[in-house]
Amino acid sequence: MESVLAFCAAVLIAPMLPAVIQKVKALFAGKQGPPLLINYYTVIKLFRKGSVYSTSTSFVFQLGPVVGCCTSLMMLLFFPLAGTAPLFSFHGDVFMLFYLMGLGRFFTILAALDTASPFEGMGAAREAFFSTLAEGTIFAILILFFRFSGSLSFQEFFTGTNAMNIGGEHGALLLLVIIALYIVMLTENSRVPVDDPATHLELTMIHEVMILDHSGPDLALIELGAWFKLLFYSAFLSQILNPLQLADPLMNGLLFFGIVTLIYMSVGVVESITARFRMNLVPKFILTSFALVFFVIILTMELIQ
Amino acid sequence: MIQISDALLSLTLLSVLLSLASNRLMALVKIMAFQGIVVSLIPLFLEHNDGMAIGSILFLQVMLLIKGFLIPGFIFMAVQKIKIKREVEPIIGYHASVFAGLIFILISAYIADRLHIALPDEHVLLMITAITTLTSGLFLLMTRRKAITQVIGYLMMENGIYLIGTALAKQTHTQFVVEFGVLLDILVGIMIMGIILHNINSAFDDVDTALLGQLKD
Repeated sequence: MESVLAFCAAVLIAPMLPAVIQKVKALFAGKQGPPLLINYYTVIKLFRKGSVYSTSTSFVFQLGPVVGCCTSLMMLLFFPLAGTAPLFSFHGDVFMLFYLMGLGRFFTILAALDTASPFEGMGAAREAFFSTLAEGTIFAILILFFRFSGSLSFQEFFTGTNAMNIGGEHGALLLLVIIALYIVMLTENSRVPVDDPATHLELTMIHEVMILDHSGPDLALIELGAWFKLLFYSAFLSQILNPLQLADPLMNGLLFFGIVTLIYMSVGVVESITARFRMNLVPKFILTSFALVFFVIILTMELIQ
Repeated sequence: MIQISDALLSLTLLSVLLSLASNRLMALVKIMAFQGIVVSLIPLFLEHNDGMAIGSILFLQVMLLIKGFLIPGFIFMAVQKIKIKREVEPIIGYHASVFAGLIFILISAYIADRLHIALPDEHVLLMITAITTLTSGLFLLMTRRKAITQVIGYLMMENGIYLIGTALAKQTHTQFVVEFGVLLDILVGIMIMGIILHNINSAFDDVDTALLGQLKD
């Protein structure tokens, strides 16, 4: 029951949180910013419209947004939100989830290539390259968590006596993991130092350029998928950050979503105070996160004991 | 519960890695300031606080002031005054530097394991961090072209030496006196460096040390 409630809350709140980022950025710029509910209005507006399909595209183009949104939603189904048991869980589900996310990205890339637009092809190439690098970091984190907890599912990572959070036994080393995961979050969700979601020049885009040809409900599905994905990563971060496990499920949920909101706000701050990197510096940025996790893995090796 | 000393050591490792990867001079100076603060805080959390005399706490505070604020401040002023180009210009690239950092940590884990030094309360991370900081500082010193980045590399080496000293001295704080002397040397060195850099800059157009190797009369 609690799990269902937590899942529903997460799905309902997911579109609101990115508006927090916009709000923080607007405050930094001295503006008022859009209302917090802007994304709900956007989604409703988009769902009311019809889609326009180019005659040169095939069914793959229409499949892309659906698969992308569904795979992001799957991540939330398997993740222990707010400390509750996830709706589904089995041993080794982390691998399936990260590859499902890869599947979603694969279909987004296919849809982009299907339009035969050179801009979209360029964006697809960048997206594929950067997320390949980020995948290295993610799997290094999974290897590390397996070493610490001996399990391979999100539920076992974050529940029980050997839970992965900074209050635990390996808390100090997890600080490095948190920073690495933050970098991966910025990369995977096309946030500022890697990609600028607010840019208007196709040549500098990564994610945005891939969805230029989508319209109406398709665009809404893509946006929803992106928000769920961002929520998943920040939930992942907040589970590591949060050492407390309160008895009252309601308080626990509030604490969880509070930390998630703080993470979104920090993303807004980062976006306000940094400029995006030149394209050739992005791989260095992502590889730094990999090196950080690799540091931690070396530190936990048998060599030291 | 989380151990503060371990967290500080992790942050030191983080700063080492970031300094190897950073391509902006200003970012490097900020990272060094952060590292100075973290490193000088470590002895405070490493041992039991009740065993600490007033004198050593005073030393720690002065150390924090010099490492965390004075030296980075001087470098900061030097960078601003002589209008160096902001890029670091490495001899060995950033990716290779980060990779070298990984190798350093592997080697220092191996060395720390072999040394068998009796560390206070199983602080395994301390020795590894110390050796990694030392070697990475040396690496930074060798592979960056600008005079000012070489000073920063030297500073990082000093941080590593300081950590090794902390690891070796268990409860006694007499080591701080020696450390303090070294630190004052560096402080003076950096001040002189700033002046010399200023003069080099007014005489030549660039402070690239590679150009100094080709001097002829």
